[in-house]
Parts: sequence; C-alpha cells; structure tokens
Amino acid sequence: MSNESQQVVLKHEAGSGTPLTLRNVSVVYKTRKGDVRAVRDVSLDLRAGESIALIGESGSGKTTLGLSIVRLLVKSAQVTHGEIIYRRNGKEIDVLGLSKKELREFRWKECSMVFQSALNAFNPVIRIWDQMRDTAQSHGWKDKKAIRQRSLELLKFVQLDAERVIDAYPHELSGGMRQRVLIALSLLLDPQVLILDEPTTALDILTQRTIIDLLRKLKEEQHFTMIFISHDLAIAAELADRIATMYAGRVVEVGSADDIFYRPRHPYTLGLIRAVPKVVGDFQELFSIPGSPPDLINMPSGCKFHPRCPYATDKCRQEEPDLVTVGPEHMAACWHWQEVEKELQSKPLHSIS
Amino acid sequence: MSLIELKNVSRTFGKGDERVVAVDNVSFAIDEGEVLCLVGESGCGKSTTGKIVAGLLEPTRGQVLFDGQDIAKMDKESFRRYRHSVQIIHQDPYASLNPTQTVRQMITRPLLRHHKARSNEEAEKRAVELLEIVDLTPAQDFMNKYPHQLSGGQRQRVSVARALTVEPRFIVADEAVSMVDVSIRVSLLNMLSRLQDEFNVTFLFITHDLALAKYFAWEGRISVMYLGRIVEDGPTRRVVMDPRHPYTQALLAAVPEADPELARRKRRIELRSADIPSLLDLPSGCTFNPRCPYFVAGVCDGEVPPLVAIPEGGRVACPIRKDVSIQLIEETPAAPAA
Repeated sequence: MSNESQQVVLKHEAGSGTPLTLRNVSVVYKTRKGDVRAVRDVSLDLRAGESIALIGESGSGKTTLGLSIVRLLVKSAQVTHGEIIYRRNGKEIDVLGLSKKELREFRWKECSMVFQSALNAFNPVIRIWDQMRDTAQSHGWKDKKAIRQRSLELLKFVQLDAERVIDAYPHELSGGMRQRVLIALSLLLDPQVLILDEPTTALDILTQRTIIDLLRKLKEEQHFTMIFISHDLAIAAELADRIATMYAGRVVEVGSADDIFYRPRHPYTLGLIRAVPKVVGDFQELFSIPGSPPDLINMPSGCKFHPRCPYATDKCRQEEPDLVTVGPEHMAACWHWQEVEKELQSKPLHSIS
Repeated sequence: MSLIELKNVSRTFGKGDERVVAVDNVSFAIDEGEVLCLVGESGCGKSTTGKIVAGLLEPTRGQVLFDGQDIAKMDKESFRRYRHSVQIIHQDPYASLNPTQTVRQMITRPLLRHHKARSNEEAEKRAVELLEIVDLTPAQDFMNKYPHQLSGGQRQRVSVARALTVEPRFIVADEAVSMVDVSIRVSLLNMLSRLQDEFNVTFLFITHDLALAKYFAWEGRISVMYLGRIVEDGPTRRVVMDPRHPYTQALLAAVPEADPELARRKRRIELRSADIPSLLDLPSGCTFNPRCPYFVAGVCDGEVPPLVAIPEGGRVACPIRKDVSIQLIEETPAAPAA
C-alpha cells in the first residue's frame, strides 16, 4: 500500500440523475418441474453516485436480478415483464431491447459486473494482460500502448504490484489478488454502473477488509454508482447508502442503510438483523427465523413470508402486500409494519451499548 | 484431567522442497463439557488440527491424549472407544452425506453396526429420538428422505444426528454452519449448544468467523491460529474484548460489522503488508512479523515467540504487545446516525 498507488487518478466522471431504472421486472426460469419465479415485479431506481445493496438469502432472486440488468441470464431464464432503462448523458437505453452488438457495447462500457467466483471468471491459460487487452480491443480500443498504460494504472489503483501482476497467469495470484484484478478489469472501460455479486464472500478476513476499503474508495472518491449483491449484512452496513431486502423474488423493504439497520419495518429484515452477531462489544442474544426459505415453484399464498412470520394473520395468508411508504425514502411491503415499529420502540436495535 | 490434550503437536505435508508445516508445535487441553473455538484464516492449520484431534490424521510429532491416554499407544479396544467418543461434523453437508441413502439408513445402520441398538425396531426408535434432538420434527417426515430432498440446514442436522448415533463425548465441528443461510444459522448453533448443556458434549468448534466463535463460545475459550501456530488463546470474553496479539487485533478490527454506525466507528489497523507468506517459505521468528505494525527488528524475526500466560487470562505469543490493551471502537462517531 504505497502512497504512489493512491495518487492514481481514474478518468471517471460521476454521472447525474438516475442512471438505472427497473420497472416491474419479473424473471422466470423454465424447469422440468415448473416455472421458477425468481424475480417478481421489482421496481428500483438507482441514483447517480449511490451504492445500493441487495440483501437476502440464497434463492431470494438477488443474483438473478443483477444478471438481468447486464442481460447475462441463462437461456432457460426469461424476463417476462417489465422494463430496464439505462441513462447516460441524457440518452435513454432500453436494456431489454438491445441487440447482440449493442449489448457488447453496453456491458463493460456502461455497466459491468464483478462475479462472485474470481477464479472462474478468468481464462486460466492466458495472462492478465491478454485478458485486459482482449476486453479493450473488442470494444474498439486500438492503441496497445494506451491499453497497457490504463491497465497498469488500474492495477495500481487496486493496490497490486502492477508490473508483476499484469504478466501473471490467474493461478499465480491469490484469491484476493484475483478479486482485485477483476475489479480493475471491470473499471477498464470506465462504466457508469458497477454490479458486484458477493465481492468478498470467498475471501479471508484481512483480504476482505482490503477489498471493502478499496470499494469504499471507489464509492467515496470516484463516485461510481454501485450495486452490491450480498447475503452478508455486514457488507451492506460497510458499503451501502441504501439497502433493498429481497425475499422470494421481491423487494420487501428498501431504505437508507440506517433505516434498514435501526428502523426496519419488515419482519424479515428485522429477523435477519437479529440473526447476525457482531464481533466487538458485549454478548448479544441472537434469534433465528423459523422455517426455511420458500419453494419458488410452489410459493405460499399471500405474503410469501407468512409461514415464517411472527406477525402473520389471515390477511397475510390471503393477500400479498405491496411496498408502501413507511418513512421518508423508506418503503416496506408488510401489512403489519406499524406493529414492527411499535415493537422496536419498546426494544430498540442498539448500535453500541 | 482434560478430556483431550494436544502436546507439542506438529504435522507436515510433502517432502523436500515442498515440505509444508501445516501445524507447528500446537499444545492445548480441553476439559469435559468445555467449548474451545479454533479461529483463523484459510491455511492456518485449524482444520488439520481438528482432524488430528478426531484421529483422522496422525501428527508428525507430538502426542494426542484422550482421557489421559496417548492415542498412539492405545490398544485396539481403547482406540476403538476413542474413535467412537470423538465425532467430526464437516463443513459441506452436500458432500458429507451419501446421496443414495435415506435418512433412516444413514442413522439406523451405524446404530446397528456399533451395537447401540439390538433390533431394527430399537434402531428405528432411537433414530426418531435422535432426529428429534436435532429438531427434525416430526421425525417420520424425514426418515424416508434422501439428502437431495433436504435443505442445507436440514442436511447439517442429519449429519449431527448421525454423529450422535455413537454417543460421542466430543464433537469436532469444522465450519459446521458456514454454508447455511443466515436466518437458519442461529438455530443450528443453538441446537449444538443444547447438546453441550444436555448431554455434556465437549466441543472443538472450528471457524473463520470470529462473530460466530464469539457467540458459540462465549462461556468457553478461543484459540487464534496463524500459519500453523497458536498466537493467542484465552477465555472468549478476554480475547474478544481485550485482544493482545497484533494478529488477533488486526482480525477483530478487519471483520466487517453488520451495523453501519459500528462500521464507521471501528478502528482501522494498517498492516505493513497485505500478503500472507507462503507456507513453503515462512519468515523466521514470529510468522506475522512482515505484516505486523509493531515490528521490532532483532526481536520479532529472531526466535519464535513462545505463548506466555497473561494475568487477564490465556496466553499470548508476542513479547512486545502482550501487556498492552487497545480500543477497537473509536470514542467519537465519525458521522452521527440520522
């Protein structure tokens, strides 16, 4: 972590307005057993320069949603409803209507995605330099020298020994280094939006910390617009301005990080927060959420969380609630959010005692 | 007398230039009914230590004592009893259960094989009891299921029920809840804690997750491993609230917290290097010295620092910092929560 690496300035210009809007997006996987409704009716606005975290357990639809934004869904999956609108410099793009050629332009240049498993994301038989050059050249960069220059800058930015790493093969790098190369690669064409799927999950604690600090730097100094997809609430607490909780394919609550952590209004969000231990400080009691995540082929009636919810009533079993405003910039999809509020007034979620 | 004791245990893999010391001179003792958590990053030797404790790997050097008896010198009968008394639960319940067996087969077969049940009826009855202990109820719903019909959490419960068939006194849980979803993790941990309370099972709980270690072993002890050695151990409260070894401090400071304000107020510890040394080419002296912010030339890269007892409880392998406490949370919040 030399001083030199921190002085590298990216050419990134912060956008303005709302670069990405999802409107009523639904995604279905066709399987032999039936249709899996992985994402249902999700609407979300992503503001320029903000970072939003999608949290939820496995099967909640968060990765599917991320993949549908960059149109990387597998063939068996289909966006059945909705719109994904991308904006840059006053131009609007309908992402779902892009042709193959246009998509190539869109990915990397406008919107790039960093995947969970950094080892599988690289071609094992070509060097890092060739991966970066390939990516740049297939997007129309001709000047090899400039590409190399930019690649080295980015590798330095992610605090790697750039000269060494650029000529290395993927297997010569550790997990944390590969993850950093992947982040550098995703920045190569200066996209406006970055989607990071479980960016630190498979990494060791100290390596994870380096990546988190790096992403925070991207957010605070370069003002990238970012979407974090994570099952780990801690990543959201560290990096997100806003958080959307997903359950059974839907966004069930969305609000500022502080609202979600200290004033949640959906019983599922509250359940998640009460299930996660903190490291520093005194002992704190934890509570698990009873039952298990729903079967996405045969989903329960009404609110999909009702079989696991302590607040469930007949209404919940019959009717699925929509997102309603529960506070400034804060929405939750629960018939009983006021009861959650009341309970938290008597038992607040403390930060540090 | 301790139930399990490791005396100067080392384990190497490979030979010649490729020789790796995975566990280096590790000693600890666990009393009956106690919980010891082994924490550390990948490659620190925690799983190897777990396997040595469970008798699945032989140490290259050193002794493993069970009930005061050296397991290397046990006769066949005592060794068999030891292997029954110590069971291991692995991380991945997708890999550790036989996909072609039903839950009934997985549980009744070991019961019959090890003469814990005399007849099929008795085995069936016992299997139901065991499934109820691990909260798989009603048990009859699960008896005929194959692993692929179960969720990750349920599979892990079956692994625990299977381990319980031989009435173990000691369970090695190697990252046993790491692959399970957050919302279900706590109930699994609570179930394991109940085994400890109700059946006086002793635990060696291996994890990379310090928050889980803190929750599970709050009444027990934590040992922190780094590159094959224990660098700090002690009562969980002391290790978590007042860590002394620079590595333990760095770990605790680095763990992301599921709380935005805590995340803002947590102290940052800058390491001198982000690279973990290769096990093939370890630094001399304290293996943390190339990264340690408190490095003192001539001391840290000389002799391997021994674990020294401190008055607050436990042992610390750092002559420089063993008596100095640090604050992990900054006094004033960086930005007040709205």
